[in-house]
Amino acid sequence: MAGITFKNVVKTYDNGVTVVPDLNLEIKDKEFVVLVGPSGCGKSTTLRMIAGLESITSGELYIGDKLMNAVAPKNRNIAMVFQNYALYPHLTVYKNMTFALELAKVPKDEMNRRVQWAAEILGLEPYLDRKPKALSGGQRQRVALGRAMVREPEVFLLDEPLSNLDAKLRTEMRSQITKLHKKLGTTFVYVTHDQTEAMTMGDRICVMKDGVIQQFDTPQNLYDHPCNLFVAGFIGSPQMNFIDAQVKKADGGYALCFGDVEIVVNKPELAAYEGKTVVCGIRPEDFHAEQQFFGSGNVMNAYIDLDEMMGSESYLYLEYAGQKLIARVPARYAKKAEENIELAADVEKIHLFDKETELAI
Amino acid sequence: MARKNKPEVKEISYAKWGYLFIAPFFIAFVVFQLVPLAQTVYYSFFEYYRSGLTVIGPTPVGLDNYKELFNSDFLKYFGNTVILWLAGFIPQIVVSLLLAAWFTDVRLKIKGKQFFKVVIYMPNLIMASAFAMLFFALFSNNGPVNATLVSLGILDHPFRFLSSVAGTRGLVALMNFLMWFGNTTILLMAAVMGISPSLFEAAELDGCSPRQTFFRVTLPMIRPILVYVLITSMIGGLQMFDVPQILTNGKGSPDRTVTTLIMYLNNHLFSKNYGMAGAVSVVLFVICAILCLLVYFNLNPTENDRKIKKRDRFKPRKEALNG
Amino acid sequence: MDKKPSHARTVIAYIVLIILTFLCLFFFYILLINCTRSHAQIQHGFSALPGSSFAKNFNNVIHDAKLPVLSGIKNSLIVSTFCAILATYFSALTAYGLYAYNFKLKKPAFIFIMLILVMPTQVSAMGFINVITKMGMLNTLYPLILPSIAAPAVFYFMYSYMQSSLPLELVEAARVDGSNEFMTFNRVVLPIMKPALAVQAIFAFVQNWNNYFLPALILQDNSKRTLPILIAMLRSADFLKFDMGKVYMLITLAIVPIIIVYIALSKYIVAGVALGGVKE
Repeated sequence: MAGITFKNVVKTYDNGVTVVPDLNLEIKDKEFVVLVGPSGCGKSTTLRMIAGLESITSGELYIGDKLMNAVAPKNRNIAMVFQNYALYPHLTVYKNMTFALELAKVPKDEMNRRVQWAAEILGLEPYLDRKPKALSGGQRQRVALGRAMVREPEVFLLDEPLSNLDAKLRTEMRSQITKLHKKLGTTFVYVTHDQTEAMTMGDRICVMKDGVIQQFDTPQNLYDHPCNLFVAGFIGSPQMNFIDAQVKKADGGYALCFGDVEIVVNKPELAAYEGKTVVCGIRPEDFHAEQQFFGSGNVMNAYIDLDEMMGSESYLYLEYAGQKLIARVPARYAKKAEENIELAADVEKIHLFDKETELAI
Repeated sequence: MARKNKPEVKEISYAKWGYLFIAPFFIAFVVFQLVPLAQTVYYSFFEYYRSGLTVIGPTPVGLDNYKELFNSDFLKYFGNTVILWLAGFIPQIVVSLLLAAWFTDVRLKIKGKQFFKVVIYMPNLIMASAFAMLFFALFSNNGPVNATLVSLGILDHPFRFLSSVAGTRGLVALMNFLMWFGNTTILLMAAVMGISPSLFEAAELDGCSPRQTFFRVTLPMIRPILVYVLITSMIGGLQMFDVPQILTNGKGSPDRTVTTLIMYLNNHLFSKNYGMAGAVSVVLFVICAILCLLVYFNLNPTENDRKIKKRDRFKPRKEALNG
Repeated sequence: MDKKPSHARTVIAYIVLIILTFLCLFFFYILLINCTRSHAQIQHGFSALPGSSFAKNFNNVIHDAKLPVLSGIKNSLIVSTFCAILATYFSALTAYGLYAYNFKLKKPAFIFIMLILVMPTQVSAMGFINVITKMGMLNTLYPLILPSIAAPAVFYFMYSYMQSSLPLELVEAARVDGSNEFMTFNRVVLPIMKPALAVQAIFAFVQNWNNYFLPALILQDNSKRTLPILIAMLRSADFLKFDMGKVYMLITLAIVPIIIVYIALSKYIVAGVALGGVKE
């Protein structure tokens, strides 16, 4: 019942700084959408505009089919989980959860029922009488979620809810929130700067930069078909390698040349770039040390600057033709630092970008 | 753009709540301080007093009140006020600095810090008029202090504290010292403890003696607080009233050598000479306004700091939450 | 090399501290002793031990026809209590208005309050009496209570406290939870501000309990007078004829309640003083 639609939304702060210049976005009902981007990209502002905590300078915001621009937060039927939890320090867990319900004059029985229900799902039953101070970070996080759940809102807004937790707890809470979304079947809008969180949790991910949506798609599509250099670099860890390559005509297509390497790809789109430079994006895992990938011209003899053994695989920090590259190879193929290694790129998985427009070719 | 063909939509604004919440403060301020201040300034240019039951004026007399003011003993009272303030403030700041340095010196390991803090702050909460009354009773010619001094053989006959200029001024200064040194000590201690401990450790490694550390590290670091203490104490000194008023029963005796500016103002207010009271007030106000400005610039960041703050304002939320 | 000087310094520090402690406590000790002794005993000389006339002195003070002590205590209590409530509540409200909201006059308002932060009220006393007279509030307790609504120093304390302890996220959470702004202030902000409110309430109470200058100008009826004025009246009476036991007892009544409260809450008060002057 509650999709969210932005139509030409502009947000300019009082000091004249425009953080969101022209936003068009459609979030479907029951979808888990992640807004992701570097800090200052406008993702939090976007979320806060949905909540009504930030006013909209111009354009229109719909939740369901109702225009929301001038509706107060409390009338939007949303609930929000804040980065620092924002639990009322003077109230118990139970009171924290019922605060909104009391204000909405929900009957006592119903209030109890909802708190019981949320506490059960989140494992908070033993802590209902405690104050937030007496809880651990993870527990506080769950109280914040519970406080949102008991409202039974149409839309859940989560603003970097996991950024204050340690790495282990973060992984655990990630799956909890995903499960919660499946269970509740409501719309979730989740803001994070962490691409891993975005990739693992979102049905669709909206990558933002400088207030502009770069790409809005499923995690798989973002990873496989990034539409520009920014998305390609932002999604995936370690980051995608970007190599400036010269385009030359060759048998069976065009050759991408850098150093001694000449990789032939069959992409007719490259016709326009003949003799020019393009940016060639290769993910670290698409470098291979196995012989079967080696082709004529598609072998580079790179110097290993540093190696990081991760267990099953190894990250190699390479230097080749004056460029720094990262390769992620199975540990058994890895060589040590200060040695040379022969690697080939997976031709099928090379991404190409226009050097000027930074868009995918 | 979209704006052209669609009607302008209203937005939510909380600004009105801001105005509403600060309104009572400003209304009370205007009614009880600003309007009175304006009237005070206004009447300082009028001849306006009561003689017996008849009210003279108000007739505008220009600057006559001010001329009369500076021809009267005003400057003497100003001098009294400054002397009384300095006589209390100098020992106060010296002792407070010393105590603050000792209390925060890890090497000294003074025990019972909390006890000493509680004791030295206590006189600050005492009703100044009651305190002065107590001193009056204690130091009167046949009061306990004189009785004790005579019986111990220190004095041959009672010392008439309140008939001697030095004695009376000394008592006022002593009371002011006692009432304020605890407060200053606690402020300075808080400032010293705000300095990063690693700075003291670095000074120690660099071979600073405790004295050098105090003068070269501690003092420069707490300078803003010292300035704050100095200026607020000056303003407090200008307001000095209760203690000398009660101690000398408003007479400023002997020979008006402890009459302060506010006592002088009080005399005019009591005799209902509003013109002169206005002139005294205006002079006081000008001095205080200058001191207020100094406090303001001491408490508020310089131009450079402000620029940094402005940049941070783009992300107000994160800022606020770090605390 | 550093063991010995430290030792000597410790000894000096203790000596100075003991002298100061003596100075701070000695006068109160005499006061407490003397309020238990009769006039004759006091005139006779100083004693280190209390006498047995406490009840008599107390009764004499309470039942003095010229000195309405009981109503003085009552008036002082009324003024101080209401001042404490008004000063803390409205200062917190003002601080919250400037802290949580953005509006055009926000910065000028803040700068204005900072400018008058330490402005003494005495400078406008003349006009104050004038205004009060015109409003018909002369010789009532209102002009001593109502101005507490605008207490710049309390405001500054509250503002600093909010900066360190009131994340705006909480206010926003309350907003999403359906609380209106006024309710948020009363139900979320005030409880969080409790420590600051308590400390400032005590200070405001003490300050007004001790206030002498303005009440002396405004209160003329004997029945309206507050304690400090009674002490001043005592001072201006013919001292030679006075019962010294009564004098000490009245001073005791004016001072001791504050000292008791102070000792009970000294930990918070001293911490509050430390916060008062420090930025942030």
